[in-house]
Amino acid sequence: MNGQSSHQQPKDGRHDDDTALTEFLASLMDYTPTIPDELVEHYLAKSGFQCPDTRLTRLVAVATQKFIADVATDALQQCKARPAVIKDKRDKQQKEKRLILTMEDLSKALREYGVNVKHQEYFADTPTAGLDPATRDE
Amino acid sequence: MSDGGEAEGTRDEQNGSNLRSGDGDYSRAISRVAMAQICEGVGFEGFNESALDSLVDIAIRYVCELGKTTRFYANSAGRTGCNIFDVVQGLEDLGKPLGFTGASEVHTDCVVSSGAIREIKEYVDMADEVPFAQPVPQFPVIRERRMIPSFLQMGETPAFKHVPQWLPAFPDAHTYVRTPVWNERLSDPRTDKIELARQHRKAERSLLNLQQRLVCNGSSVATTSAEPCNGGNGSGVNNNGNLSLEKPLEAEDIGVSRVSIPPKLSSQAQTEKQVSLLETFAPAIEAMKDGLDSGSDGEKTFPEKRDSVFLELKGGKKVFGEPLDLKIRKAVGRTSSWFGHEGEKDDKKRRVEFILRQSLENQQELPQLIDNVVCFSPFLEFGGLVLEELQLEGYESSAMLQPHQNFLDSPLPQMHWCCRPLEPKMVFCEEEEETNMSLWRTQDNFLRHQEQVIKHATWN
Repeated sequence: MNGQSSHQQPKDGRHDDDTALTEFLASLMDYTPTIPDELVEHYLAKSGFQCPDTRLTRLVAVATQKFIADVATDALQQCKARPAVIKDKRDKQQKEKRLILTMEDLSKALREYGVNVKHQEYFADTPTAGLDPATRDE
Repeated sequence: MSDGGEAEGTRDEQNGSNLRSGDGDYSRAISRVAMAQICEGVGFEGFNESALDSLVDIAIRYVCELGKTTRFYANSAGRTGCNIFDVVQGLEDLGKPLGFTGASEVHTDCVVSSGAIREIKEYVDMADEVPFAQPVPQFPVIRERRMIPSFLQMGETPAFKHVPQWLPAFPDAHTYVRTPVWNERLSDPRTDKIELARQHRKAERSLLNLQQRLVCNGSSVATTSAEPCNGGNGSGVNNNGNLSLEKPLEAEDIGVSRVSIPPKLSSQAQTEKQVSLLETFAPAIEAMKDGLDSGSDGEKTFPEKRDSVFLELKGGKKVFGEPLDLKIRKAVGRTSSWFGHEGEKDDKKRRVEFILRQSLENQQELPQLIDNVVCFSPFLEFGGLVLEELQLEGYESSAMLQPHQNFLDSPLPQMHWCCRPLEPKMVFCEEEEETNMSLWRTQDNFLRHQEQVIKHATWN
């Protein structure tokens, strides 16, 4: 389905695209996004989005979920990419550190999306805040 | 995963204890849970609080931005309702910074084949379905507002011509017009008096009941107590006195006789502090006997002639007649421990002394003694019983009722009860509503005081 839509000419493939879209929308109803519909509806209503169609709401919810998932994945990669701290002499435990979403990883990941999140250093939410990331453990 | 579960559990607690103020707390809390679930799905095992809050902020802003952009595109097309194309265009707008395939063909190509949608499709196909953790109710909850009814609904016509009827009605006049308020309290002196009388009667009735009960308790009467005190006295008096005493002794009525009869000195079972009246007055009776004997012979006339006993009902403050004075001669030790507390006795003591003096003075004058009034307040029934009893004994009795006025004027009715010649006046004094204690207390003091006085008197 995806390959079709990409290869077809836009003018000729409109029909197929339409069907694809409708099918996609129909499939959306089967998929339950993690973000609840009520929440999305609440924020959409706040911003002026008026649509009684729940499929659109689902679409927005899925889009947001995708966005957040992308950000989280990038942050995870940042977290993994950081060199592991040698806790003890046992090397095997190096890679088994807990994956914690930290502000630093998040800010790095978000920068690519155009979101500047600068975490003030003096706002310490962990005992190891402000330390060299290399020395941070867990 | 277990770690994720723990984290989620703590997250829930954090959500519950999140006290960040501001509107949208509920939605923020839900968002936190949703974001945490997404991150957990991505692979994270935990996060810092601030990081999660930032992520929530970003997600909320993303949704709002998408809605705004969608609305913008719809408005641009001259519509107010958004449709799929508007959403797709909004998605493309937001995805531009990162880029998506076909981004360069956004406005030339059909929106339907947009790369953004494609990406979403891919995501839907690829990602695991992780539904939201808890059921979320429809929010925000809209409260039913009570509308002010319009003029039409109220059935009123607006006072002014320029006000249409479909507008909400004006508030009632009493909400904004200030009218003076007087505290009207009608005071009817007659009603007040009647009320006062009723309360007095009620108090007296309760006292009467109490005394009746006490009298019932002290049912048996001993003649032995009377005899020793009679020893050494004129036989006539004694005999008469005994006679007079015995008859009431035999009588079993709940009448004055009970009270007047010299009580059995044997210990009567008294559950409470309220010793039977008979016991209380045993010494008094004996004392009176002695007093009478020691008095002038004129006093002895009463055995032959039974003088009428006047039962006068009034609300006077006359507390004690003589009898108590005379009582203390003999023995008084009984009066000690009957009373609970000994407060407020000064007034009573004074009264007691007054009565004592009175009775001592009156001791010599038997006729006067006889003619003394028995004051009760409304113990009509009681008085009636007394009358009956006395009639049995051959006494003339007449009851005189004072006018009603006296009742109402006195603050509290005093009850005196005097039965002559059977014995010295037994007086029950009621000072307050709490009948028993005050009554006994007073008598105790009185008796004690009497003892002293009499001692002096006799020695002199």
